Amino acid sequence: MTPELPLHHYLVVGAILFALGTIGFLARRNLIIMFLCAEMMLQGVAVNLVAFARYRGNLEGQAFTLFIITVAACEAAIALALILMLFRNKRSLDVSLWQELREPRQEPIVDEEPLPTPEREAPNPVLTQAGLEPEHREEKSHV
Amino acid sequence: MSDVSYLLWLIPALPLAAAFITAFLGPKLLRGQSHWPCILGAAGACVVSVIVFWAVYSTPGEGKPVQVVSYYTVFHAGAVNVDFRLRADALTALMLVMVTFISTLIAIYSIGYMHGELHSEPHGERQDAHGHGHGAAVPPGPNYGYPRFFAEVALFIFSMTMLVLGDNLFILYAGWEGVGLCSYLLIGFWFTKPSAADAARKAFLITRIGDVGLFLGIMLLWVGSGFHLDYQGVFDNFPHDPFYVTLACLLILCGAAGKSAQFPLYTWLPDAMEGPTPVSALIHAATMVTAGVYLIARCTPLFVQAPVAQLVVACIGCFTALFAALIALTQNDLKRVLAYSTLSQLGYMFLGLGCAIGFGGFAADGRPQAGPEATAAVSASMFHLFTHAFFKALLFMAAGSVMHAMGNVIDMRRFGGLRKLLPTTHWTFLIGALALSGLPPFSGFWSKDEIVGAAFVAGHHSFSFGAVYYALFIAAMATAFLTAFYTFRAYFLTFWGEERIPEEAGGHAHESPAVMTVPLVILALFAAAVGAVLALPPWRLFEAFLVRTPGFVEGPQSPPEYLLMGVSAVVAAAGIGLAYWMYVARPGTAAQLAHAMPRAYLLSSHKFFVDELYDYFLVKPVVGLTQFLRIIDQYVVDGLVDIVGNIPKLLGALFWPIQNGLVQYYALLMVLGLTVFLLALVRYR
Repeated sequence: MTPELPLHHYLVVGAILFALGTIGFLARRNLIIMFLCAEMMLQGVAVNLVAFARYRGNLEGQAFTLFIITVAACEAAIALALILMLFRNKRSLDVSLWQELREPRQEPIVDEEPLPTPEREAPNPVLTQAGLEPEHREEKSHV
Repeated sequence: MSDVSYLLWLIPALPLAAAFITAFLGPKLLRGQSHWPCILGAAGACVVSVIVFWAVYSTPGEGKPVQVVSYYTVFHAGAVNVDFRLRADALTALMLVMVTFISTLIAIYSIGYMHGELHSEPHGERQDAHGHGHGAAVPPGPNYGYPRFFAEVALFIFSMTMLVLGDNLFILYAGWEGVGLCSYLLIGFWFTKPSAADAARKAFLITRIGDVGLFLGIMLLWVGSGFHLDYQGVFDNFPHDPFYVTLACLLILCGAAGKSAQFPLYTWLPDAMEGPTPVSALIHAATMVTAGVYLIARCTPLFVQAPVAQLVVACIGCFTALFAALIALTQNDLKRVLAYSTLSQLGYMFLGLGCAIGFGGFAADGRPQAGPEATAAVSASMFHLFTHAFFKALLFMAAGSVMHAMGNVIDMRRFGGLRKLLPTTHWTFLIGALALSGLPPFSGFWSKDEIVGAAFVAGHHSFSFGAVYYALFIAAMATAFLTAFYTFRAYFLTFWGEERIPEEAGGHAHESPAVMTVPLVILALFAAAVGAVLALPPWRLFEAFLVRTPGFVEGPQSPPEYLLMGVSAVVAAAGIGLAYWMYVARPGTAAQLAHAMPRAYLLSSHKFFVDELYDYFLVKPVVGLTQFLRIIDQYVVDGLVDIVGNIPKLLGALFWPIQNGLVQYYALLMVLGLTVFLLALVRYR
């Protein structure tokens, strides 16, 4: 950090990143985009941490940031897997299709302008078969 | 006194071990041999009891031999310090010998009597006196009844020996409840029969009423004596305030009246005859029902300080004696006649205890003592307990032998003239009946005479209540006449007249096997001789032995009242003669008399309608109250609980729309909330 660039510049960048992420998370309905927005919020926080660490002249914030990046990577793996499963269920990435976890006796909110669905469904990627499937021995249950 | 501390614990331990062995090994392993642990345990306890008795008896000099052994502390919490302490003194030794000896004989007798249980015969189908008929199914499981019976009898012997051996009120109470439990289990032995199950429940509940009083009494004694529980500590430290002593004594009397079936709480004992006859002999005639008498005798140093409580004891006892005798006159069930006579004789014992007036002052070390007259009265009462145990157990066992031969029919109207058919049973029953009637020289004569004499002496000595005691004396004499009459009514109806055998006997009515008759003969010998041997003046061995219990003062032996003896012998003979005249010489007289006095006959044969009165005035209102409370519980209490549960539910309904399941809606609310917090933080920093 050059001495002539004071702390609040970095904080403003972090705040902008965070605000953009928040707005994106609230406004967009595509699951993947929402996930990426969440990541953006995380990065805004990381910028703040690094800036404060530099400002105070210690390494704590840097260490935190390293952890945040690591965790974000793991999170991405899990989140993308989950999103894939959700997509397989509904053939859509629209988050508003998932309303089952609501209070009983509450009517679902009907979307007036649903996301445009692709005309032709993309097939799930299938691996080409290599070799023969081994014969399975019949297992007898002893229960 | 020679040291018996190493033996004392064996007396309860042997029957307890027998109970466990029979309970665990009986159904699978011992089966038909399940009686051995019980008999050996009882016999072993009897041998040890005799050794303890001898150790007390052979103590030289005029002292009061007593040995207290403290084995370990059961629990210790604050001021409560309960030691497992056993005590051997003259009173305990007497009770022990009597209990274990009779238990052994009855256990042997039960081998024959309970034999039917082995073959899963529907032995419970006793045709009872009211002709309810066959209501019983066979108890579940093959052959389980036999080991169960002996395990419960062994457990009873354990509890009873603990009751008389314990040196503090806590152990006494534990034994007290233990015998109550065993009584419940054994009355309900044929629990598939509704009348037996009801009788068991009735016995348990009614004695429980008394037990509440006893427990309050123990608490009062404990607090009043500065947190002592052992007898000596309680007697020495309880304040000599007339009010508190009387209150404590009345509470103890409440417990004793429940267990010993005295007037207001007696109705369970006649119903308890639903149990097997050896149980009636052991628990409901010889041992358990005398626990109340033992308790009051043990607490004599307290009772002599409370003349009012003693008067209550005497009045309750005498009233029960007379009342039960009047009921016994017209009962047709042989066992019920004996049950009412047990009530009556227990009433005599209470009368004797209540006549124990005369405070003997304090011993050199500050201990309260019973005076010489009181000692004589308590001794008379305990002596009657002792002889009664022998002859009443004998009578019940003979009645059981009759039942055994008659195919479990016990209604005296359905059999008769059995003296040729059952010769041994006949002779032994006759001896028991003579002892119960109080004809010299049989045992009942000596002990009953001593109690009547004690009432006479009490009338002479009491300052305030002399007239009352004289009235009790006359009532006791009248009861003696009634006793002789109803006992021999039962005897003549059963064994005299033309021979009649009910069809339930199956045409092969026969004398019981030796395993039943030998105990009968042994008991008959004791019932005949024990009174004369122990009470014959001038030695009067029983009284000489009992006064060596701590807390009793020996006085000069009062000269025997030959006039009184003569009168009571004549009264007994008159009762027997009247019974002979009414039932043998002129067999129709009884029916004519019943016709002539229909009201009196109805009152007596319906037991003065006491059960109905209790039902109407106590049971019905309580049932009504419970119905009322049930409604309150269902609608008021449950309604309140429902309201309390519904309030959060209604409040929560306000927030239901928030939970719409949309992820972004939740995120929006979170952001808004965060904004509010941030604004608040900035504004009110």
